[in-house]
Amino acid sequence: MTRLFRKTLLVLTVAALTGSLVARSQNPAQGSAQSPAPSTRSGLNIVVLDPAHGGTDPGARGTGGVRESDIVLDLAAQVKHGLESQGFQVLQTRTANENPSFDDRSALANAQNGAIFLTLHVSSTGLSGTVRAYTMPDTTLPPGNGGLIPWDQAQAAYLPLSRKLGDAIQGELAQRFKGSPPNVQTAFVRQLRTTAAPAIAIEISSVSIQDKADLDRMLPGVADAIVRGVVAFRPSYVTPTVPGVPPGVKP
Amino acid sequence: MSPKWRVRILVGLLVAVLAAAIYFPILKRRVKRQAQVQQTSEEQARRELVQSLNTNSNEPKVKAKLFWGSDAGDGTLAPTIVELPLSNDPALRAKQVLNTLLAGPVDAELRTLPSDAALLAFYILPDGTAIADFSEAMANSVPSGVQSEQLAVDSITKTLEANVPQVRRLKILIHGQEVETLAGHLDLTGAFPVSAKAVAPVVALPVAPAALAAPANAPAVSGAATPQKK
Repeated sequence: MTRLFRKTLLVLTVAALTGSLVARSQNPAQGSAQSPAPSTRSGLNIVVLDPAHGGTDPGARGTGGVRESDIVLDLAAQVKHGLESQGFQVLQTRTANENPSFDDRSALANAQNGAIFLTLHVSSTGLSGTVRAYTMPDTTLPPGNGGLIPWDQAQAAYLPLSRKLGDAIQGELAQRFKGSPPNVQTAFVRQLRTTAAPAIAIEISSVSIQDKADLDRMLPGVADAIVRGVVAFRPSYVTPTVPGVPPGVKP
Repeated sequence: MSPKWRVRILVGLLVAVLAAAIYFPILKRRVKRQAQVQQTSEEQARRELVQSLNTNSNEPKVKAKLFWGSDAGDGTLAPTIVELPLSNDPALRAKQVLNTLLAGPVDAELRTLPSDAALLAFYILPDGTAIADFSEAMANSVPSGVQSEQLAVDSITKTLEANVPQVRRLKILIHGQEVETLAGHLDLTGAFPVSAKAVAPVVALPVAPAALAAPANAPAVSGAATPQKK
């Protein structure tokens, strides 16, 4: 009995020793992998989704009674689900049939720290079954004096990041929807101008489709492309360390 | 006596109601038709007034480059060369090319601007900022969407860039008013860059000799307009 007890004790101590040794040898590797993580962690935590139009404004209307304001609300719900499963916090400018002002929609993103803004649209023109992402064009506005950025030029400082986000999402869209452009497009979208965050518009073609089911069938693919694009973009976005200084694109 | 009268009055009233029921819809239709005629004639009068500028054939015919939709239908523009009698005065010249642009291409599918829209006024300020005032149809009839609204504006700015080099920026008004968007998407509160030079810091133009310089520059400019993008 005592011999058996001693044997098991010996086996246990040996096991414990080797275990601790192995653990110690692995520790430094683990430590080096963990410690730099917080410093390079992306500042992107919040995604603001903006289903365009709503309320008295149905947006683009198709012959079959398809309304842009309804489709984008469906799309927003699917994108929200996908993004939340990737650990993002998702805010929506509207979740019902209402129509906040352009400024109110922008303000929701501007009030967050480390947010991106996606405004969702369905057009009445264009090749059916294609999707395009847009950023504001670069109009080289004079640099603002002091730390205050005029409200109507809010987007200018974020253009490089917006383009990077747009290209990431457009690349995913082009793979899924043949005939879509390979890169992000530019347009003077009113909604983007007042948004002080990386911001793009996404527009699906189109409401003038024969059957609404064809459009509904596109939505999961569009949502998936957006989620993958946002995930790919995530490491490039670092929150500004100095308040009021817009973040730049990381090399 | 009294029951007989009652019946007569009742019959009379019934006839009156029936007559009214038949006559009112006819009247309504007539009023509607009249209103429509008036509206189209107003639009037509406006167009004819503007058209008279175009048909001033005293001007030498110039190869103007106009931008309508491309055959691909993918939201891009394609240039079309049209021979037009164009004025040497930049503002007049701009009106002439924009009215031709509004009139539309041979293939109506390639239109970029609504067929019922009209150009109400066009000015060029000394700093090269042009102001174009369009009728309400421009905002109400253009297909709503980021792509279609940007295409409409691009067709205007590209056509101006190709034919009226004096224009550097374009501000669009709708019926004399500044509006927030064209049809819910495109921002009209700012001025659109027209020529590549507009992006660079504005070179202060000598204001006084602007009128003097215009006729002297114009022949050289009109000659340069077409081969510019070859």
